[in-house]
Amino acid sequence: MVLGIASASRFYFKRGFGHSSVIRSSFCSLRSSSDMKEVSSDKGSSGSALAGGDSPALPPVKVGASLRSPSSVVQSTPEIEKKYVHRVYDAIAPHFSSTRFAKWPKVSAFLNSLAAGSLVLDAGCGNGKYLGLNPNCYFIGCDISAPLIKICADRGHEVLVADAVNLPYRTGYGDAAISIAVLHHLSTERRRRKAVDELIRVVKKGGFVLITVWAREQEDGALLNKWTPLTQKYLEEWVGPGSPRVRSPSSPLTLESIPEAEENGSREQLKEFTDKYTDLRSLQLRHLHMNSQAADLSLASLTKKGCEDQQEFFVPWHLPYHRAEVSGASANAVASGLAKKDDKKGAVVYNRYYHVFSEGELEKLVSGIGNAVVVDRFFDKSNWCIILEKIS
Amino acid sequence: MRLLTHNMLSSNIKGVTNGFPLRIEVEKVVEKSVDFNPDFLKNMLAKIEYKALVEASRIMGYAELPDHAEPSMLESDDFLRKFHHALMELHLEEGTLVCPQTGRKFPVNKGVPNMLLHEDEV
Repeated sequence: MVLGIASASRFYFKRGFGHSSVIRSSFCSLRSSSDMKEVSSDKGSSGSALAGGDSPALPPVKVGASLRSPSSVVQSTPEIEKKYVHRVYDAIAPHFSSTRFAKWPKVSAFLNSLAAGSLVLDAGCGNGKYLGLNPNCYFIGCDISAPLIKICADRGHEVLVADAVNLPYRTGYGDAAISIAVLHHLSTERRRRKAVDELIRVVKKGGFVLITVWAREQEDGALLNKWTPLTQKYLEEWVGPGSPRVRSPSSPLTLESIPEAEENGSREQLKEFTDKYTDLRSLQLRHLHMNSQAADLSLASLTKKGCEDQQEFFVPWHLPYHRAEVSGASANAVASGLAKKDDKKGAVVYNRYYHVFSEGELEKLVSGIGNAVVVDRFFDKSNWCIILEKIS
Repeated sequence: MRLLTHNMLSSNIKGVTNGFPLRIEVEKVVEKSVDFNPDFLKNMLAKIEYKALVEASRIMGYAELPDHAEPSMLESDDFLRKFHHALMELHLEEGTLVCPQTGRKFPVNKGVPNMLLHEDEV
């Protein structure tokens, strides 16, 4: 039923959001990795030449059945993402969504700058925070998390369940694409690069792509102390020697805020962890000085390189018990060791995997893409951001 | 899932070169009103694959769209409203999207398509 001609700018139905502003987090101890058996490595069996910017060649890590094609190596989901991204978001979706309502001005500005009638693709849309932000545009959102997509659908958004590394969209029809706080959940450089390629593929010539990722250079160092750097055990199991982690010039950790990280936690526990982490850091730093010739990329030297270079983290999420019971997934998660109960806080603690980006890394990731150029780059609220234009 | 969205979707299974349009199998269609916006519609007409829209709308139970669209038809309010209805107001609530090349079925539940592939399809 048509509602009559109007110059109405809103042309699709959208309900308001209800919000609560409970923001939580705290420190959570490193998980045992005994349950991580199968891993995938992007330098596995393919042996194919990698896109520019990768680390020097090292013997590939053979993992599991290793006769997959190069495309499947990139597009199959590694275990660390299944366990520490997908399952976590599925379990925490409603609670997570309730904390995700503030629109980041830079993203709003980008979306509002688009021409009326633009088709906007939000890859990794989460709870749909940005869908429909510009009422003159048509948004299609996708996310790998069905529970998050359900939240979007319940709000009247046009969404689908899909993988950012392999978007189900035709080539070249979008006017713009956005990837807001998504790529840092991809555990290999090749997957991150594939996701960027997909964003560019789906927009038209002249279309724009906005990407934002968490920065290693966080504005608030106290928050950084709540993150658990992945230990050597994890590195061995899922990264292996020759990890294509980008080596950036060491920059001192500056202290600025993390936009989407949560905080709270008992003061005592935080202090205890901070002390422990500080000790660990000073130990690593001393080791670093002793091993200043760490030119080879052997595993030992990767970890000894020290915390300034650390980019792989687990960031905790505290799911309050009453939320966990509603979700149901948490009982399984605790039983399987994926999450821990914290009775003192009355919450189930999950870990989310992040590869935080160092300065220049995002640019390096997009360099070498022949049909797109960088039109803007900035650091904002502890995120590295980039805007690309597809030129052919 | 609106037909505008359907018009943007393609099967992304490895090796598929002819993944568009996905064939629709209908279980439930719902109509939801949307504000009429002629400028938006004109922009979209240039973008979409019209033939796929016509076929899809017929499968969804709406047979009013003409087989072909000429640019001059954009001046016709009658055409625009039919176009608007097909593109924006018909929702596949329950059903299946089928890859035209492989026959692989992607489910649509509560209006949401699930386009995730299995390990052996990537």
